[in-house]
Amino acid sequence: MKRTRRMLASALVAACLAVPGGAAFAAKDRLTIDLVGEPNSLDPHVQWNPDSYYVYRNIFDNLVTRDDKGLIAPQVATSWKQLSDTQIQFQLRDDITFHDGSKLTAEDVVFSVKRITDPKFASPQLGQFDKITDAVADDAKTVTLTTNGAYPALLAQLVKLSIVPKKVVEAVGKDAFNLAPVGSGPYKFGGWQRGVSVTLARNDAYWGTKAPFPSVVFRAIPDAATRVANLMAGTSDLAANLDGDLAKQLQTSQRAKPVPVLTERVAYLAMNVQKEPLNDPRVRRAIAQAIDKQAITDGVLGGTEKPLAQMLSPAHEGFVEGIKDLPFDLAKAKAQIAEVGPKAKQEIALVTAPVYDQRVVQALQQMLVDAGLNVKIEMTDMGSWLKRMQSGPDSIPVMAFSRWSCGCQDADGVLFPILHSASGWANAKDKTIEEALEAGRQTLDPAKRLAAYKTVHERIASEHFVIPLYQAAQMYGTSKNLVWTPTPNESIFVNRMSWKD
Amino acid sequence: MPGFLLQRAGQALVTILGVATLIFFVQRLTGDPTYLLVPETATKADIDALRHALGFDRPLVVQYLDFLADLARFDLGQSVVQRVPVLTIIGSRLPYTLMLAAGALTVACGIGIPIGILLAVFRDSAIAKAAAGFVLAAQSMPTFWSGILMIMVFSVLLGWLPPSSTGDLRHLVMPSFALGLLSMATFARIARSALLDELSKDYARTARSRGVRTPRLLLRHIARNASIPVITVLALEISNLLAGAVIVETVFAWPGIGQVTVQAILARDFMIVQGVVLLGAFVTVALNLISDVLYSVVDPRIVLDGAR
Repeated sequence: MKRTRRMLASALVAACLAVPGGAAFAAKDRLTIDLVGEPNSLDPHVQWNPDSYYVYRNIFDNLVTRDDKGLIAPQVATSWKQLSDTQIQFQLRDDITFHDGSKLTAEDVVFSVKRITDPKFASPQLGQFDKITDAVADDAKTVTLTTNGAYPALLAQLVKLSIVPKKVVEAVGKDAFNLAPVGSGPYKFGGWQRGVSVTLARNDAYWGTKAPFPSVVFRAIPDAATRVANLMAGTSDLAANLDGDLAKQLQTSQRAKPVPVLTERVAYLAMNVQKEPLNDPRVRRAIAQAIDKQAITDGVLGGTEKPLAQMLSPAHEGFVEGIKDLPFDLAKAKAQIAEVGPKAKQEIALVTAPVYDQRVVQALQQMLVDAGLNVKIEMTDMGSWLKRMQSGPDSIPVMAFSRWSCGCQDADGVLFPILHSASGWANAKDKTIEEALEAGRQTLDPAKRLAAYKTVHERIASEHFVIPLYQAAQMYGTSKNLVWTPTPNESIFVNRMSWKD
Repeated sequence: MPGFLLQRAGQALVTILGVATLIFFVQRLTGDPTYLLVPETATKADIDALRHALGFDRPLVVQYLDFLADLARFDLGQSVVQRVPVLTIIGSRLPYTLMLAAGALTVACGIGIPIGILLAVFRDSAIAKAAAGFVLAAQSMPTFWSGILMIMVFSVLLGWLPPSSTGDLRHLVMPSFALGLLSMATFARIARSALLDELSKDYARTARSRGVRTPRLLLRHIARNASIPVITVLALEISNLLAGAVIVETVFAWPGIGQVTVQAILARDFMIVQGVVLLGAFVTVALNLISDVLYSVVDPRIVLDGAR
């Protein structure tokens, strides 16, 4: 027994010594990307998860996309025109082929739209496309979409609508398509080693910008410190989801560098303004004055995030220049709380979940306590947090830290769910805001929309139904040889990268 | 022996049914995974539609009976997040768990047992004190720290070993040491106390008085008797290791059972959690049975109940 153990140990050590270290860790013809986890699914219509998103967006084309400046740009659709408030017609490219060699046609676009909007299909993304009531192929190159009313955020949502091949999906079925997806994008599905990595191979017949690397490997590396170590050891070329502290480590690395980008995620302090003590505008005003946003972004988060005075980032359609929030003023905040009296001193639970940056949550608690409030942090799991936060004004927690991303970079995807009483998240019950949100949703005129959202921002700035905190950043780390411009929509399009020796 | 095995198999079935029932209901106390599967912008109607499609809107008893019926057919269901059969997921992770468990046990036993012998034979010597210090240090280091430290030294600084993920045998070295050094102390302690216990017995004293040298005394006379507690610990350690080493698997991105279980718990992927817990229960029951049988092989004085 002992001899066997000794032999096993010797074999292990011998195997270690037999292979020269380092040499085989990374190859230039293969880009290695470290994500937090593996994709939930590679069928683009059955998931809502960033790690799936990073991978499958390289396999599939979308009807439209966003360029590196964040503007909506043609992809499968070459152009589009609004036929009426509720109908939009797309002209499609005729030179796109799927990875199985079949041609991408209007039928595939219609199939993709109907698949994701079919309630029986129960796509997690249904809510982003359920304003679409019909999709019709006018001819092989033309598709008309109908919405249930004017829907200005339609193009912003269609950026996420991947086109799948009708014939393949119908032939193999939902489960098999998830395991071996066929798209028309710059990379073809290569293989999936469960729990380890997904490998993609370059689509040499791609109609658009060809990818620079013959293959890409997306690996699941859950620990952020390990993702940084991989970059420093040269065994990966790009890592997602790092933080400011780890980025500092990369600044001293010979091989890698931090690459931060401001995203469309808005961090905010959510409040239930129907419950005591936050139903008193003076308490909300005191909270707004008690929070030093700059101290959070610079002191806690490392300076990459940017303080916000409104519930949108500059990356959003609907962001209004010149909105002012209350400046940090602890003395005034204390005075307000003292004026309110004992009511303001009752215990307030600041509900949070492990997924959120607890340093920020603790800083918020401390700032509010300094102002004289009695705030306690209440930790819960993400599932429970989400359920409670969407449970309506009667049971939404009194206070919570949250970060919001609609993945659409449009005001309607942020402000409507957080502030309109049709949504489970909302509790403000403010008539002016609700009318403005409805106006912003029902007109295609950009100027009218901006005016409507300006009303919303100003109302928030004066009534403090929520406290906007900062525009969150995504911290990537990359090899110094990788040339890449990350965008606020947190996509990793490999064919937009290049390699410099 | 067959009577004993039959009796234990019956007990095992009851245990596993109990575990299955417990894990089914305990998980559902926390709600269902629907909210975690949709974007924030999803409406209540969208959430309800997905809940219905996943079957979580059915009465709990109906869901439970369905689960038992599937279990009777050895069908553990489909992951609600990945939409892949649970058996496929567990099957893809199990080889890595087994590899890591084997590597860690090799390190733990390969270093721990010799140190235990050293501690017993050279009791109170400087060598034994140094070895005890080493064992204590290895057990005291948290793996999230020692793991990253190993990566920084052996991968980033020296470039000898790959920092994470899987591949050839080199990928197994650091995770095995990070995990094995923790169990090493247990083996060293047990081996030491078992040896000291045997060394103090009459037969050992008699052998010494007859001039038997220490190595021969240890190998021929004491090793077998002292191995019983080690076997007990070995069975427990194996079942612990097979249940997953979450931190080591996370730090080294080792795709074992522990990692997938924690991810499934956080995502409320009930089917995977149920599958892993049932696997863990089965392995624990089976290993206990095997260690009971091994006792009787190692020590003929032990007679199995049903074999009388």
